[in-house]
Amino acid sequence: MTTTASDRDLVVETVRDILGAHEPFVLDAGTAWDAPLWADLAAAGLTGVGVPEEAGGSGGETGDAVAITATLAAGAAAVPVAEHLLVAAPALLAAGLELPDPAEPLTVATGGVVHAEPVDDGDGPGRWTLTGTAAEVPWAGVARHVAVLAAAPAGIEGEVLALVDTSGLATTEARNLAGEPRGSLVLGGTPAAAALLPPAAAAQVRARLALARAVQISAAAEQVLAWTVTYAGERQQFGRPLGKFQAIQTHAAVMAGEVTATAALVDAAVQALDRGADPVAAAAAAKVRAGAAASTVAALAHQVHGAIGFTQEHRLHHLTRRLWSWRDEGGNERTWAEVLGVALLTGGPDDLWPALTRVV
Amino acid sequence: MTSSLTLAPAPSSEAAENVRAEVREFLAAERDAGTFTTHVDTWLSGVDPAFSRRLGERGWLGMTWPEEYGGHERTAMERYAVTEELLAAGAPVAAHWIADRQSGPNLLRYGTEEQRRAILPRIAAGECFFVIGMSEPDSGSDLASIRTKATRTDGGDWVVNGAKVWTSNAHHSHYAIVLVRTGPPGEGPRGRHQGLSQLLVDLSSPGIAINPIRILDGGHHFNEVVFDDVLVPGDMLLGEEGAGWHQVTAELAFERSGPERFLSTYPLLAEFARRVADAGDAAALACLGRLSARLLALRQLSLRIAAALDRGELPDVPAALVKDVGTTFEADVVAEIRGVVDVPASLDSPDPLGRALAEAQLHAPGYTLRGGTNEILKGIVARGLGLR
Repeated sequence: MTTTASDRDLVVETVRDILGAHEPFVLDAGTAWDAPLWADLAAAGLTGVGVPEEAGGSGGETGDAVAITATLAAGAAAVPVAEHLLVAAPALLAAGLELPDPAEPLTVATGGVVHAEPVDDGDGPGRWTLTGTAAEVPWAGVARHVAVLAAAPAGIEGEVLALVDTSGLATTEARNLAGEPRGSLVLGGTPAAAALLPPAAAAQVRARLALARAVQISAAAEQVLAWTVTYAGERQQFGRPLGKFQAIQTHAAVMAGEVTATAALVDAAVQALDRGADPVAAAAAAKVRAGAAASTVAALAHQVHGAIGFTQEHRLHHLTRRLWSWRDEGGNERTWAEVLGVALLTGGPDDLWPALTRVV
Repeated sequence: MTSSLTLAPAPSSEAAENVRAEVREFLAAERDAGTFTTHVDTWLSGVDPAFSRRLGERGWLGMTWPEEYGGHERTAMERYAVTEELLAAGAPVAAHWIADRQSGPNLLRYGTEEQRRAILPRIAAGECFFVIGMSEPDSGSDLASIRTKATRTDGGDWVVNGAKVWTSNAHHSHYAIVLVRTGPPGEGPRGRHQGLSQLLVDLSSPGIAINPIRILDGGHHFNEVVFDDVLVPGDMLLGEEGAGWHQVTAELAFERSGPERFLSTYPLLAEFARRVADAGDAAALACLGRLSARLLALRQLSLRIAAALDRGELPDVPAALVKDVGTTFEADVVAEIRGVVDVPASLDSPDPLGRALAEAQLHAPGYTLRGGTNEILKGIVARGLGLR
C-alpha cells in the first residue's frame, strides 16, 4: 500500500487530535510515562503503523511511522513510540520473529552486556536464553516487551535479536535528562524467541535507533524554533519586541539553519531506509547532523527565552531536555561520525565523492 | 515551521545519475590528458575558456534551457549533478560559471526574444561569459544605495556612468548585467527599490575601463569596471524599466543556492580523506564524518531548492539560508581539519594537504562575503521567520 501526502496529513492530524485531548504530560519521580495517551494511540491503531496487517499491524509505510513519531516528539509525548514503531517492530519483522500485540508497548535494548545461548540448534528463529544486563533501556519498566540485541555464543559470527517478555523481570530505576525511563533490565537465563543476525543486520538495528532519535530531534528542534520565534515576537524589552533586535534575529536565523539542514538530511535518510537501502551510513549522517543541531538549537532557544525559559514552569525544558538526551542516545555524534568516516572510505582513498553521493 | 522555509524533497532522478556517470568519465579523461589539476574554489579562480567550450560541446551548459535558445531541455536535477561533479573535482569552471548559473536564467526570464536568440546559444556553447554588475565602491551590503546611473538619450539609448566592483573575471568576460538607477527613488523605507533597472552591457563598449582588484594572495579575479559615458543601445534594457530590484532578487535565488555555496573547499576535504585513509586515527575519522554529515545535509537542502526553482517557485529565503549555512561550512572545513592534523599550510608545501589548506585559507574570507554577506543573509532568514 502506498500512502499519499493527504493520507499522511490525516495520520498527523489524528495524532495531533489525540495529543490535544491530553494535558501536557510532566514526567517526575512518580510517573514514568503517559499511559492514557498510549491507550488512545493504540485504540486508534497508530501503534501498529508501518507493520503489515498480516503481521498484526495497521499497514502503512515507514514514512507514516516517522510522521507519527515526529508529531509525538514535537509534542513532548511520554510514550515509547519511536522505539516501538521505528526500531523494535521493523527489526523483529526483518529477523523473522513474531510481533507481540501492537497495543502493548515494545522497546529496544542495544546497550549493556547480554549473552544469548540457543536452546535448540540455533539455526534460524528459535528458542534462546539470555543472561546479563541490558543497560540504558528506553522505557525500561514501561514496555511489556523488549527487543534485545545480545552477543552470540563464542565462535558464532553476528549478534542475536531476542524478544523478551519483561513480566516478572527486575529493572533498575534510571532516567535520562528529560525524566524518560532508561533503566537496566536484568536477565538470568531468561527464555526468549530469538534469531541470529549477521553483523550487517545487527548494525542496521543500531542504525535504526540512531535514525529514530534523529527523527525525534529534528521534530523537537523545529518546535523549539517555532516557540522561540513566537516568544521573540511577543516579549517586549526597551519598548520593542525582542525579535526587532539584530542580535536576536541572528540567533533565530542560526537556529533556522540548523533546523532546516537537519530536516532535509533526516528526511532523505528516512527515504533511503524506505527504499530498502543499507541505512547505516545515512542514519550515521543523520544522527551526527541532528546531534549537533540539538546542541545549538537548545542553547540559543534558552538564550532568547531568557530566565523564564530556565524555569520548570515554562514549557521550553520539556523539549530542550529531550534534545540534550536524544543527542546522546543510540550513539552520540562522536560515535556515528567515526562510523560514517569509515563507511565513506570503504571504496578507497580517492572514492570520497562517489561515496558521499551514494549515502542519501 | 514557517512556510517560507519548508520545501518539498527533491525528486530522485535516474537521468541525473546517468549524466553524473558521463561527467565522471569526462573528468577522468581530462585529468589523464593533463588539461587541469584540482584546486580549491575554482568557480572563482579556475578560468579556462577552452575547458568551458568542451563542456558546451558535451551539452553541459544551458542544460535546462529550451532547445530554441541552444539549451538542452534537461531537468534541474541533471544540471545539479553536472555542476556538483565539476566542483567536487575542482575543475576550472570560472569562465562560464556566472553566465550559466544566473545570467542565462535571468535572460530567459526577463530578456526580449532578440536578446535571448543573440546571447543564450553562445552561453550554452561556452563561448560567452558574463559578470555581475551589482556592488559598487560605496554600495556593498546596502545594494539599493547604488549610484551608477543610466540616462536616456533622445534616440532611446542609454548612457551609463559609474563603477561596479568585485566583478569576478570581467577581464575574461563579454557582457555584464548592470544594475543602474534609471529613475528617482520613491517614498518610504523601500522607496529606494524603485527606479532601478538592469542593462545588458557589452564589455568591449567604448568608455569601459576594467581595472584589476587583486585579492590578498595577489590573485587577479576581481575587477573594478568603470563606465564613463558608455552608450548602451536602447534594446539592451533587460526586463522592465524600474523593475531592477525585483529582477535582482530573483537572480539572487539562483546565485545563492547552488552547490558552489558549500563545495568551494571540497577539494581540501577530499585531500584530507586521502590522508585519513592512509594514516588516520579515530579522531581524524570522526572529523571526516562530522564534516561529511554537514555536507550531506547542505546538499539535500540545495537539491530541494534546485527542484523548487525548476517548478518556477522563488525560494529566496531558503536560498539565503543555504548560503549562510553552506559558506560557514566552507570555512569550517579548514578549521576542523587543522584541529586533527598538524600540516603547515603553504602554497609551496611538498604535501598536497598543505597546499590545499593554503588555498582554502587564503580564499576563506570571501566565502561568507560574496553574493551577500552572511549578516545580510541572516536578516533575510529572520524576515522569512516573521521577525522583521
